[in-house]
Amino acid sequence: MPLIEIKGASKGFGLPGSRTEVLKDINLSVEEGEFVVIVGYSGSGKSTLINLISGLVKPDTGEALIEGKKITEPGPDRGLVFQNYSLLPWLTVEENIALAVDEVFKDWTLEQRKAHVAKHIAMVKLTPAAHKLPKELSGGMRQRVSVARTLAMNPKVLLMDEPLSALDALTRAQLQDEISDIWMNNKTTVIWITNDPDEAILVADKVIPLLPTSPATLGEPMIIDLDRPRDRRSINHDPKFKKLRTQLITTLLDAKGRTKSKTSLKLTLPDILPEDLTTVNTLQFLNRSGPKRRTADKREEVEVAA
Amino acid sequence: MHPLIQKYKLDSIFLPLVAIFISCIFWYAIAGKSVVTEKVDDFGDKIKVTKRAGLSADLPTPVETWTASKPYIVEPFAKRGELDQGILRFTWMSLVLVAQGYFIALIIGTPVGFFLGLSKQFTKAFDPIIQVLRPVSPLAWLPLGMILFSGVKVLDADGRTTFGASDAAALFTIAICAMWPTVMNTAVGVRAVPVDYLNVAKVLKLSKWKTLWKVLVPATLPYMFTGFRLSLGIAWLVIVAVEMLTGRPGVGGFLWQQYNANSYAHIILCILTIGVIGYILDRLMSVVEGRFKTA
Repeated sequence: MPLIEIKGASKGFGLPGSRTEVLKDINLSVEEGEFVVIVGYSGSGKSTLINLISGLVKPDTGEALIEGKKITEPGPDRGLVFQNYSLLPWLTVEENIALAVDEVFKDWTLEQRKAHVAKHIAMVKLTPAAHKLPKELSGGMRQRVSVARTLAMNPKVLLMDEPLSALDALTRAQLQDEISDIWMNNKTTVIWITNDPDEAILVADKVIPLLPTSPATLGEPMIIDLDRPRDRRSINHDPKFKKLRTQLITTLLDAKGRTKSKTSLKLTLPDILPEDLTTVNTLQFLNRSGPKRRTADKREEVEVAA
Repeated sequence: MHPLIQKYKLDSIFLPLVAIFISCIFWYAIAGKSVVTEKVDDFGDKIKVTKRAGLSADLPTPVETWTASKPYIVEPFAKRGELDQGILRFTWMSLVLVAQGYFIALIIGTPVGFFLGLSKQFTKAFDPIIQVLRPVSPLAWLPLGMILFSGVKVLDADGRTTFGASDAAALFTIAICAMWPTVMNTAVGVRAVPVDYLNVAKVLKLSKWKTLWKVLVPATLPYMFTGFRLSLGIAWLVIVAVEMLTGRPGVGGFLWQQYNANSYAHIILCILTIGVIGYILDRLMSVVEGRFKTA
């Protein structure tokens, strides 16, 4: 039985009439210990997809399951790493992580919980910054705290919603490697969402493109059978990597190309009749009903590509 | 600008002094002056007649104000009688009353603000009432307070009233007038708590109580303290009206009593005192407020 399963889910937002369908026919199954990355364009519904699993969003049709049970609300078994870190700014690194640990492991002793917090701070190499507030940390450090907080809950699955997209390229690369290392050490199931195809191939076992059709659907999964640990310097010359990368980018670009829709708009041509200015100084002029058209309903159709 | 002035930021002392000086000249110009004229009365004796003249004949000049106020300022804690005390003694009495009323305002205002911020239905239901009650003047609330608490009477061992209807009415007026900024700011603050923080609470499955104390309250604190500061300003503003109407001793009561006693110089003393104390309270509160500006 897969750990996480989504069956025929769709989701839209807004009231009837002005509704936008975001996701349609989403079918996904993630095995335990898998590292799955979902790649898609910005605004194509990636966050909505991961929130179906986290339980923050409920599907309109279909269902999301964890270990065969229906997901109805958020819970600590599905640890979510937010794009903007979402650390509580009035708590230190240690307190932020402790908030999660204290809540999830209520029956542990104080020492056990403290040790657990310290272990996870050490895991993301932030022991010297344990007593700092989030505002005193760099973006990369904040996201490491966020990852540590999530991992400290011992979740069955680690959900990452564009965890690195707010970081600069160098820090991003470093964190990709660090998260890969952490994953290799404790093999938690990971579902990672990103808009960066290189990042996807570099960290994942399986990459699933989210095709920007409207509403969006998932494409065919690609198995990434590159050896781990993956060295980002040499991997650029690996023909297998290049092939996968080309394949992924082509899939995404083709899907985007197909969605270019054609819209036709009815535009009215300017055909206003000249006004008779000899009537300007008469009462008749005051009663005029505005500019007149030769034919009020004469329109021409112009096709515009959106 | 002269480098010395720049170095010690003297302009921030010097320029206000200039403004104060100009204001005093203006004050002096419109204030009345005593004019002494000699007259021969009906018996043929020469007598001196003192009359006040000027744009505003009864307004004392700055110098007259200072001379008349001096005993109250140089001995700020003296007690010469129930209604003749040093200015800081009066101020202290007013501050105690304000503190009590303000405390009640916060105790009631903060939870109300939280309910307004958390529940849309609650907001829809109570917003009209709040918007209507908010602009009502303390002068209007006080008589209502007197009626509401007409039965309140706490006596001490000697049978003297220590806490009567007018005291209860005074507290009621200060509390109900000072409450609104706290209510409104807390409500806005609760609504402004980032969804991400609430999502964190949801993912961690924090209980309602824990979400309130660990997430909502800390996230709302900066807004709450802005409300607290504005509330304190209003509580202090209301004190004069309350003391005038109830006749309680205090800086406002002193002001009204001195108006009735025709010692106009003391009115100016009271106004300046109220202003300075209000300013100090506001500065103190903004220091506290600044400490909570996290994030």
